[in-house]
Amino acid sequence: MSEERGVRPYRRAIATEAARELASPSGLAVAGVFYLMVTAVLSGLWATAASANGGEIVGYSATALVWYIATAEAATVSLPLRLIEEVGDDIASGRVTSELLRPISVLPMRIAVRIGAFLPRLAVCVVGGVGFAWLIGGSPPDALALALAAPSLLLAVGISLVAQHAFAGMAFWIADAKGAWFLWSKLVFVLGGMLLPLEVLPDTMATVAKALPFMAMAYAPARLASGHVEPWLLLVQVFWLVVACWVSSSVFRAGERRLVQEGA
Amino acid sequence: MRALGRTWAGAWAEVWANRRGFWFQVSVMIVNDVIWIVFWYLFFDRVGEVRGWDIDDLIILFAILTTSAGVVLGGMANVRRLSALAIDGGLDAVLTLPTATLPHLLVRRVETPSIGDLLFGIVLFVVLGDPTPTRVLVFLFGVVCAVMILLGFLVAIGSLGFFVGRNEGSDLGFHALLLFSSYPVDVFGGAVKVFLYTVVPAGFVTSVPAQLVADPDPAMTAAVAAVAAGVLAFGWFTFRTGLRRYTSGAGWTAA
Repeated sequence: MSEERGVRPYRRAIATEAARELASPSGLAVAGVFYLMVTAVLSGLWATAASANGGEIVGYSATALVWYIATAEAATVSLPLRLIEEVGDDIASGRVTSELLRPISVLPMRIAVRIGAFLPRLAVCVVGGVGFAWLIGGSPPDALALALAAPSLLLAVGISLVAQHAFAGMAFWIADAKGAWFLWSKLVFVLGGMLLPLEVLPDTMATVAKALPFMAMAYAPARLASGHVEPWLLLVQVFWLVVACWVSSSVFRAGERRLVQEGA
Repeated sequence: MRALGRTWAGAWAEVWANRRGFWFQVSVMIVNDVIWIVFWYLFFDRVGEVRGWDIDDLIILFAILTTSAGVVLGGMANVRRLSALAIDGGLDAVLTLPTATLPHLLVRRVETPSIGDLLFGIVLFVVLGDPTPTRVLVFLFGVVCAVMILLGFLVAIGSLGFFVGRNEGSDLGFHALLLFSSYPVDVFGGAVKVFLYTVVPAGFVTSVPAQLVADPDPAMTAAVAAVAAGVLAFGWFTFRTGLRRYTSGAGWTAA
């Protein structure tokens, strides 16, 4: 019963935020159009490259590449690009300090609010992405792999969300996380496989990239959606989600302690 | 002109006041740009030439894009806020000044990270762009045209805020232009290519000037200059027309 009470505020926050997002269809439409634009550009680039190379690049056909890009983009575009900056600003401006006064944990509530915001966006991207990939690339390369890609996509956005909060937590100490999102996004773009399948990287770099958490945020669901039945990718994602939760809660606990001791 | 120069100098002094922050943000943007170049090297290393484009052409395209975007988004940063200023009634203070409204607005704010783009673009061309005298001249011409097109387009879509109120399309148009300008236009085909030479003139921002640097062509040079002048004039006209519909926000801001 007490557990029910403990979870209820977060469920409410998710539902309220999702309703707020749905109440702004023009915002969702803009997010959807932006997603389609990025997907069209990158899948056009890779499909052209594949056709210039005998129809295949590092084991990906043109169709597989379209599904890869559509999925990787959905995982990335569903969250605000400047999430790290927004969280950092909230810490630096003292908004987080006022949240400490509430009888509820700051980090889980913030995550819950963001989950509510990203779910409708993710749904728009998935619907648009599946339609686009089917229309431009053709039917999915493997139905089972595509089915595995669905939970993988949710895990990818979840890991990204929690990990970005951990990264933004640096604002507890340096007071300005501006610009940090640039670096984060580029790490996800290249080492996370958002712009290109990791197999395109030189061997050593690809091995390193596959050992880093960024691969769980874009590459994993995209690899599955492109027809590779590799269920172990889901286990890797669960591992990185646990790590991200542990790191972010540690960072926020330490940061909140610092605010309480020193004052905002 | 002197007033504009002083205003611009003031905007630069504002960002320069926090030098550590200035260099940090510039450095972050340069790292960001370097990562893009790394991506393109990896891409062309794996796939070779794509529809006549290789890494050398891409270097020029990227140098033109970052230099021109650095000038517009760094040196005239308010261009991205035009829509919000128009909708929120944020132009009151500017309208009382004895200077032309649009130029004053544009030079009033400098955005530090984009200065990193500007520096990166120049260095990229000098180091990897094979800067012979002819190529330098054509590169500069391409940058000037790209600046005119970016500026005209962003002013035009920002000014739509005067007409339609809430203007999410402005942000979308901005992202579309920069996104499509980041890739060789020949990657796309058919209707998309026509779209990129007309509605969102991304083809004229980077692809055509980059091709001119590699292979100068008087007719194409004249065409790019004409398009740049046309887009800039369109932006100016849209702002002037929209400004007549502006209503005060009863707020006094520094824009």
